[in-house]
Amino acid sequence: MTLLKPDVGRAIGWAALAALVVLALFGLWGAPPDDVQGDAQRLMYLHVPAAWIAYLAFAVTAIASALWLWPRTRSMVWDRIAGASAELGVLFTALTLLLGSLWGRPVWGVWWAWDARLVTTAVLLFLYIGYLALRRVPAAPDTRAKRCAIAALIAFVDVPIVHFSVTWWRTLHQEATVFDPELKANIHGVMAFTLWWGVLAFSLLYVYLLDRRYRLEALEEDLEAKELEQAIAERVAGAGTSAARPQEEVPVA
Amino acid sequence: MSDVGYVVAGWTATGAVLAAYWLWLRRRTRHAERLDREG
Repeated sequence: MTLLKPDVGRAIGWAALAALVVLALFGLWGAPPDDVQGDAQRLMYLHVPAAWIAYLAFAVTAIASALWLWPRTRSMVWDRIAGASAELGVLFTALTLLLGSLWGRPVWGVWWAWDARLVTTAVLLFLYIGYLALRRVPAAPDTRAKRCAIAALIAFVDVPIVHFSVTWWRTLHQEATVFDPELKANIHGVMAFTLWWGVLAFSLLYVYLLDRRYRLEALEEDLEAKELEQAIAERVAGAGTSAARPQEEVPVA
Repeated sequence: MSDVGYVVAGWTATGAVLAAYWLWLRRRTRHAERLDREG
């Protein structure tokens, strides 16, 4: 009932933990403070990987939803992956906003700004909270999977809007720097290493948590199916008993 | 609050949120496994 073999899942979990410890060592002590932002820039080593994993998680949800909708690949496995990944996406989007707010206060002087990047990210968070709420609405498994798959594909439209918001509109949030070929960002070696290490550590954590969340989803679906079978059996047994009972004679006036 | 204060708050909050999610996942999984075994 897991996506990965149990040993592989455990190994990835330990690797993620070790990678996060190394990230903390480099992020808090190893990497030098930024020339302009000073120590506040150390939040980048969490903020950027968290945003990256949120994008990845919602992309996985969209792909899994499309695979569920495609009749040839339809399987409840895709529905479970979509649900598990969306929950992780919500977790990492919330972390992105929290860390961005904590970084924005010393650098911009505000906790929050009605800026295109921030607003579209908040919209993304609420869209996927809505998606998770939709998954909780009682329905037959196929009906629920279909409506959730469609909702996931619609919600994913916001991901490229979030990403390109900094180029489409004038924003307080900076544009992409590391991936901008024109900018040729000259980033210190240890800073670049720490940033990429953070992406790796969060990716490992995502894979581990996705596997664990998938297992929980599968277990709960199994239990729900068993409960339903038991309730139907009890109802059928109850109907059988009442049918076997002799009818009372009704006095005729 | 100094820059270091914001950094410490961010790293601590991240650790706390991730640890809380992992613990919640583990507790719910164990609960479901127990119900499954009990039939």
